[in-house]
Amino acid sequence: MKFSLSWLKEYIPIEMTPSDLVEGLTMIGLEVDSISDRYAYLDSVLIGRIVEITPHPNAEKLKICLVDIGTETLTIVCGAPNATVGMITACALPGTVFPGGKVLEKGLICNQESFGMLCSEAELGIGSDSDGIVSLPSDVDVGQKLASALKLSDMVFEVDLTPNRPDCLGIIGIAREIAAMQGSSLKYPGIDAFCAGSSISEYTSVEIKNPDLCPRYSAGLLSGISVGPSPFWLQDRLLSIGLRPINNLVDVTNFVMMETGQPLHAFDFDTLSEKRIVVRAAEKGEIFTTLDNKERNLLPGMLLICDAEKPIALAGVMGGVNSEISQKTVNVLIESACFQPSSIRKTSKTLGLNTDASYRFERGVDPRGTVFALKRAALLIKEVAGGQIVAGVVDAHPIPVAEQVIAMSTKNTNRLLGTNLDQETMSIHLKSIDFSVKKINEDILEVTVPTFRVDVSRHEDIVEEVARLSGYNNIPTTFPLIPAAIKPLYKQITIKDRIKDLLIGFGFTEAINYSFIKRSAVDQLRLRPEDSRRCVVEILNPLSEDQAVMRTSLIPGLLDTMHRNISWQTKNLKLFEIGRVFLNTQRKNIQPHEIEYLSCLWTGKRVENSWHGSNLDCDFYDLKGVAEGLLKALRLEGIQFTALPSENCCYHKSGHAASIYAAGELVGTIGEVHHEVLSNYNLKQTAFIMELDLDLLITRIPGNKTYKPLPKYPPVSRDITIVVDHGIEVQSVIETLEKMDEKILENAELFDVYVGENIPEKKKSLSLRLTYRSTERTLEDDAVNKIHSKISRMLIKTFSATLP
Amino acid sequence: MENTIEQIREDALAELANASSVDEIKALSVKYVGRKGRITLFLRNISSLPKELRPSAGQEANLIKQLVEERIKEALQRIEGSDLNSTDYIDVSLPGRAAIPGILHPISQINQQISNIFKRLGFDIAEGPEIETDYYNFEALNFPKNHPARDMQDTFFVSDDIVLRTHTSPLQIRIMEKKHPPIRVIMPGKVYRCDSDLTHTPMFHQVEGLVVDKNIGFSDLKGVLTTLVHQIFDEEISLRFRPSFFPFTEPSAEVDILCVICRGKGCRVCSQTGWLEVLGSGMVHPAVFENVNYDTSQYSGFAFGMGVERIAMLKYGIDDLRKFFENDFRFLRQF
Repeated sequence: MKFSLSWLKEYIPIEMTPSDLVEGLTMIGLEVDSISDRYAYLDSVLIGRIVEITPHPNAEKLKICLVDIGTETLTIVCGAPNATVGMITACALPGTVFPGGKVLEKGLICNQESFGMLCSEAELGIGSDSDGIVSLPSDVDVGQKLASALKLSDMVFEVDLTPNRPDCLGIIGIAREIAAMQGSSLKYPGIDAFCAGSSISEYTSVEIKNPDLCPRYSAGLLSGISVGPSPFWLQDRLLSIGLRPINNLVDVTNFVMMETGQPLHAFDFDTLSEKRIVVRAAEKGEIFTTLDNKERNLLPGMLLICDAEKPIALAGVMGGVNSEISQKTVNVLIESACFQPSSIRKTSKTLGLNTDASYRFERGVDPRGTVFALKRAALLIKEVAGGQIVAGVVDAHPIPVAEQVIAMSTKNTNRLLGTNLDQETMSIHLKSIDFSVKKINEDILEVTVPTFRVDVSRHEDIVEEVARLSGYNNIPTTFPLIPAAIKPLYKQITIKDRIKDLLIGFGFTEAINYSFIKRSAVDQLRLRPEDSRRCVVEILNPLSEDQAVMRTSLIPGLLDTMHRNISWQTKNLKLFEIGRVFLNTQRKNIQPHEIEYLSCLWTGKRVENSWHGSNLDCDFYDLKGVAEGLLKALRLEGIQFTALPSENCCYHKSGHAASIYAAGELVGTIGEVHHEVLSNYNLKQTAFIMELDLDLLITRIPGNKTYKPLPKYPPVSRDITIVVDHGIEVQSVIETLEKMDEKILENAELFDVYVGENIPEKKKSLSLRLTYRSTERTLEDDAVNKIHSKISRMLIKTFSATLP
Repeated sequence: MENTIEQIREDALAELANASSVDEIKALSVKYVGRKGRITLFLRNISSLPKELRPSAGQEANLIKQLVEERIKEALQRIEGSDLNSTDYIDVSLPGRAAIPGILHPISQINQQISNIFKRLGFDIAEGPEIETDYYNFEALNFPKNHPARDMQDTFFVSDDIVLRTHTSPLQIRIMEKKHPPIRVIMPGKVYRCDSDLTHTPMFHQVEGLVVDKNIGFSDLKGVLTTLVHQIFDEEISLRFRPSFFPFTEPSAEVDILCVICRGKGCRVCSQTGWLEVLGSGMVHPAVFENVNYDTSQYSGFAFGMGVERIAMLKYGIDDLRKFFENDFRFLRQF
């Protein structure tokens, strides 16, 4: 909502400086978004004196003027008939932006260079005279700015209104707030000159068929008007807040809307069939052409203003071509109505048609303000377009709107605010914004809410009025007294923080990617047709194709991040992300399944470039070590990595990926990225990725830690090296050892895997260190040797192994 | 016998005098005074001497032992002292073997900081769905259908009734449905709005707060938010509460803080106003309490919400919002 200081002053004297006004409005709840001088565009228009005039060699009507602008003398081509030597006038320099938006450039006019422009009042937007250039008294100093010479300054305020304050969508509403701030009173425009009577009912009538959608429709009639351009003052007012003048009739309706907040519409009365108004809901299949010349397909229920036979306006949104004001209009019907807000909003949203009128109606106009605005407009039209006002108004008012009466408790108000205001102070504040207040007893005030405050309907709303008028900053600052008891709602959050800390310790940096991915991401990952991650949640109104669906995996985001970083020359990356993935439940209007995932990506070198010897690339086992370390630190039990069968590797390289189990349950996967996926992301270097289902994992973390006594007796170690088939997994060797359930075998650890010289092809040698310990005594060599050879024999047998 | 201990003494002193390294001296120590050293063995054998010789031989051998031990100490000091001139050194300026910690995303860092402040104030932390029903995201929060208040948040739709949550406020409802007052909880999380330019990303992070109990007033809201701002920034940063509108609070307040960049003098960041808008807040609207069947005559409460990116930008001096989601290592490694 925009208004200018000079316009505002029509209704209230302003004692504050513009910056105090900005502060005051903001602190009362009308946030000022910007403030600017509407004449700022005149900054490059200077006072000049014409010192010499010569005829233009190529154009009869043009003159070449030498103009003194104080610092220099410019050559300017000018066509104005009133230009004379010695004239003091307005000279715009190149770069000036005129009110119409035209930018002045240095130029050739009929082959003659021109370094500026001598302007008329109309061109500068400071007056209506367009016949010749500005002529100023001879004592005006040359070289100064035009705006300062003419004292042209008018601050324009733009208020960012919250949707609950339609009462301030008219300048009078804003003036009312300022009056409350200043303790001064408002001056309303006079409407007493409006001729009372009822002759209007001889000419027209209004019938409302859907009173729920239109509680009030007031109409007025003028005859014998002449449509033409508005006088300068009216155009100037509209221009000052960025509205384009159209003709005197339309300009008045816009002016009164901006003044009162009540949208008006003018119909060419002679186009109305039977000269009467019918307000009704649209029927199925109706089509209507709005003022902007577009055919609109109406839905049943959209409210229409009609004459006896056809729609003439889309109620509260836009008028129709068929009843539009034209140069020929002589008789005019003015509509000033009140429509049901949500109905107007629905129509405007459905048709994608937002207008200044619909903006106001959908927020709610004052149901008691229609007649005032109507009379104000009629009087102004008579003033600027001539004609006669037909006496009286038609005021169809099937559902009178009663004022809300709310009992306000002083005590509860103070309790809710934490204040100690007395009843009298509250009463004064409320009266300052035209609320009526009656004292019932020491606690209760009966507050009658004016109908323009459509947002105030309950006790708390009154409390807010008291709070904002007494000043939020005058409310004390206290602290809630809260019982010292804990009942945690969500335990996972601390565990997630712990996981983040661990990964940071392992050298991984956290990434946060958008939750949206492109639709083709599931193809880029080579997901199989039956993979549930192909069932993405689609966004109906995405911002772009790249953000069209919700992610079902964190991997696309991490691969995108990897690609971006490599393009920025960062090639060694250890990344992790914790975030939700969204699986479509395939049922309409049911929320998708959300699962929190952890994903890690490692690419490039194992360690950053270093002088310490070998500079190896990271591999599967680097990332697996991270997975093991993480799961162990979380004290998860029964951790297993089992090879992912080739048919299950979609974005993993076959033979280089594993499923991760914890506590017997599949919690994730780990492996190298498939080469096709790499090329789908334009990646030339490989990467290793891990995914863990955190929601599942977290539920498997054991709650309590229990201490085990430290061993009393020393351990004895024995190594064994066996040569086995290449395909045998170390995990199975270790599991076999565990299954033997040999009491004194405390631990079995792999310390070497060797393939190469002295080992037959397709074989590998595994070296294990077995640790023996008894809880009852120090073990004798003999006893250990006996068991160790038993174990060795068993391994050799089970895995068809040989000794090296 | 006297000769022998004398001989041992001579040998020991001579060898010690010639020793030139710590290792050599340590070997000599073992050779003479170790568990099986010559002097030790001599002493052990004294019992086999005739009774009358034992005291003097023992005394002498012990004196020699003392002397040798002293010489060993001296020799060690001599050698170690001479390390001053040693050529044995390493280049300590070479970088150590890398142990580079990762870095938490700046958003997570701010989130943790905010969470820690509220944990100390006795708040619980909760999370909830990012894809919400219209009921939780709007209706229950007193945004009626076809109400212009819905324009305040550009919404991504999944269907007529399912949206990407536009704020963390739906969790207020979910928590109050589950739990009776007293409630004090913060709710951090991702939110989505259909808007993308220099100052908006379609996804961003919010932290929501909710306190409900008997006798909670607007002044309490001011207290908690003042503490929050002072803890995140510093105690010099003053707050300004001004009336605003959110459908789910009444009275509602927008909270400005003194510009942390220019401290109120006016700069580009605060558009010359000296103030920065960082929080939305207010007293929980009675309609919201009615939707979760709380007795409004008994309970009152306040709620607030803030954008985490905004706080991070102010705290770290980041000028481009989009940087948060590009995950440029050169950016992330700065935090």
